[in-house]
Amino acid sequence: MEHMATIAFGLYTLIILGGSILAVSSSSLVRAMVGLIATLLGVAGMYMLLNAQFLALMQILIYVGAVCVLIFFAIMLTRADGAGEEAESAPVRNSVLALLAVLVPGSVLGWILMTKPLPTTGIPVEVSIEKLGLGLLGPYSLAFELISVVLLVSMAGAVLLAWERRGGK
Amino acid sequence: MTHLVMYQLVALMLLLAGLFGITQRKTLVGMLISVELMLNGAGLSIVAASQLTPANAMLGQLGTLFVMGLAAAEATLVLAIIVVVARRFGSTKTSDVSTLRG
Repeated sequence: MEHMATIAFGLYTLIILGGSILAVSSSSLVRAMVGLIATLLGVAGMYMLLNAQFLALMQILIYVGAVCVLIFFAIMLTRADGAGEEAESAPVRNSVLALLAVLVPGSVLGWILMTKPLPTTGIPVEVSIEKLGLGLLGPYSLAFELISVVLLVSMAGAVLLAWERRGGK
Repeated sequence: MTHLVMYQLVALMLLLAGLFGITQRKTLVGMLISVELMLNGAGLSIVAASQLTPANAMLGQLGTLFVMGLAAAEATLVLAIIVVVARRFGSTKTSDVSTLRG
């Protein structure tokens, strides 16, 4: 079983790596979205390995099901043609600066991670869905209510922003 | 290397991919995709840190659920902003959106 977990971890890591590279480097936005979806599914697999099945399900439901469809709508509504938008290559200076912007925080965070490891139990804890629900309705109910307000406000704001006035200014 | 460090390294990789994308992309939709990558890295990091340490595991999972909800709200708003920008400027390239006039 230990070997299977290691193999699954490597597989998910490969999926995440390939998907994220495709998502940030593809010249076609639709292909970048396919890369993003692969990455999200890989992260869902990681949640499964971490013994957080409910989160894996929510990851697929919310991210792959809702957010990705939203971004596809954004691509469709702005008529971003499949290949054109990101097609012309960036100047080399931009790529070098982007790599620098990645390497500096990456090396700092990676160095901290490798040199100061946290004490770990090694075995993921199991939290039942029942406990999660009780937590949402008990000690963390304020956050639960607030996030519903945030979602409502963002939905109303999106409708207000994108509303097309007829005969207006 | 403990398991926790391996998960955190994967999360760090997601963050770096998102950072690279957000500095490299030339359209708003591409930048939105990169932001989603970074948020996923944050979620994975929180869950790994709460599941594999003596910390409160329920709090970690609920925190990641809230991150997902906030990501959904953010994607909704960014979609609306992109639609408005595309209507007003005729494209969603960041280099075209360069006027301050209302």
